Amino acid sequence: MSTAQPGSEPPAETLGPTVLRIMLGSQLHRLREAAGVTPDQAGYAIRASRSKISRMERGRVGFKDRDVADLLTLYGITDEHMRAGLLALARQASAPGWWSRYGDILPDWFEAYLGLEAAASVIRAFELQFVHGLFQTEAYARAVTLLGHRAAPAEEIDRRVSLRLKRQDLLTSPGPPRVWAVIDEAALRRPVGGGRVMRGQLDRLIEVAQLPHVTVQVMPFGRGGHAAAGGSFTVLRFGEADLPDVVYIEQLTSALYLEKRDDVDHYVEVMDRLGAEALTPAATARFLTDLARQT
Amino acid sequence: MTSHGTPAGERPDGTAAEPLERPTFDTSVAHIARVYNYWLGGKDNYAADRAAGDRAIQSYPEMVSSVRSNRAFLARVVRYLAGEAGIRQFLDIGTGIPAANNTHEVAQSTAPDCRVVYVDNDPIVLAHARALLTSSPGGATDYIDADLRDPGTILSQAAQTLDFSRPVAVMLIAVLHLIVENDDAYRIVAELVDVVPPGSYLALSHVASDIEPGKQAEARNRLNQMVHEKQTHRSHAEVARFFQGLQIIEPGVVPVPQWRPDSDLEAKCPSVMWGGVGRKC
Repeated sequence: MSTAQPGSEPPAETLGPTVLRIMLGSQLHRLREAAGVTPDQAGYAIRASRSKISRMERGRVGFKDRDVADLLTLYGITDEHMRAGLLALARQASAPGWWSRYGDILPDWFEAYLGLEAAASVIRAFELQFVHGLFQTEAYARAVTLLGHRAAPAEEIDRRVSLRLKRQDLLTSPGPPRVWAVIDEAALRRPVGGGRVMRGQLDRLIEVAQLPHVTVQVMPFGRGGHAAAGGSFTVLRFGEADLPDVVYIEQLTSALYLEKRDDVDHYVEVMDRLGAEALTPAATARFLTDLARQT
Repeated sequence: MTSHGTPAGERPDGTAAEPLERPTFDTSVAHIARVYNYWLGGKDNYAADRAAGDRAIQSYPEMVSSVRSNRAFLARVVRYLAGEAGIRQFLDIGTGIPAANNTHEVAQSTAPDCRVVYVDNDPIVLAHARALLTSSPGGATDYIDADLRDPGTILSQAAQTLDFSRPVAVMLIAVLHLIVENDDAYRIVAELVDVVPPGSYLALSHVASDIEPGKQAEARNRLNQMVHEKQTHRSHAEVARFFQGLQIIEPGVVPVPQWRPDSDLEAKCPSVMWGGVGRKC
């Protein structure tokens, strides 16, 4: 077996703040329910609203030491060892991620995604329009960025491109996530940035698909109409057994994060259907080689 | 990745080949592979699968421990085959949804040049297998879209990756109980064993009809009401009969936790499955 085990649980120190927040949040949720405390009561105890409690329990916000300590007291957790462990987790979960230095160009709704992506053990994506950000060449990333930020100064474009490329460190990090992407043929036929850029992008895709922890499947025009009806989306899975999958759907000025089991099941089912209907990974390799030749 | 140009189980256009009877892609009905995934603590299951899994657990509360023991049995068997027995080729029929310690991972961690062919008839299982069960560089994995009831197709497609003039381990882990008719089950195993050369192995596990029979029969009946794939259970004698003509490897056909356990604790895990390994002489 190779040393880097795709999809396996990364060591705690590389989990990143987001998944630590989710872990702490889900523990607080369990403890609150076990203690029979309502979100309103919990909110009152830390001088906050019930929705703040809900956001904390879903790992969407950072934690203050004092809030965690007060909640643990309310939930009847007196064991010093357990309290110390959870408080240490709260402090780790407040440490900034590598992306914090891109704060000026990073909207909150996307920052949350970066945290989840960095923590995921499996990233499954369906891409209808563009090649996935983790697979983009610099030239392609620049062309996509220019589409969305026509009026931005050159320096800002540079920073946005650099952020996107920095994200790709994930693919070569130790214990990388398993990335499984279904890409619609349309995304590969549309020559973003022109023929030469697209050719380079296709070559890159062929290369990246050969990584042991990366799977690329092309959805050819002839297939998948029904399953693909919803548009692009990503399903993030985490190694921890009790963390639910999160579905990420990007919109023009915001993003949706779904984690209720019913919602998630629906998207995972579509993803499963796409995976079953698309070209197999081996056939995709042949398809991409042919397409690169024509581009 | 596959080691050859034209992978088995594909149409010329590269989409997955149409099997004899393609199971319906209907997540509103429980599917046995996803119910197993649920019992194993996986996340690739849907509401109907969880409901069926829970109903079975109500009849037999140790179900989760039992299927996990079976998974551990798979790993110990593969380690034995790739290690002590020197096997380098595996035909794993009834792959199921990838979980921890998949056959090629265990085999290739012992011997990196192991070649593994996975066989399943479910489109979701196959999509997951193709995406996730990728070989280490020195070995090979391939995936066949075929039904256990059609061993001829399995063998002819597996021949693209496996060399049937050299020993092969045929793995039938927790799958034969889905072949309800005895005649069919014994014929299928005989056909598979017939094709592999001397020095090959048969490894299988099977839900028992004579361990916790009352609870088990109830769990089976509940599953059969809710799950698309019907199942039958078999006795120790019926399971041992699959190994007829083979040299049975110690300790014989036993509850799966007792097959060469790594610890006394492991050996004591509750289980309702018979398991064993036989060698073709």
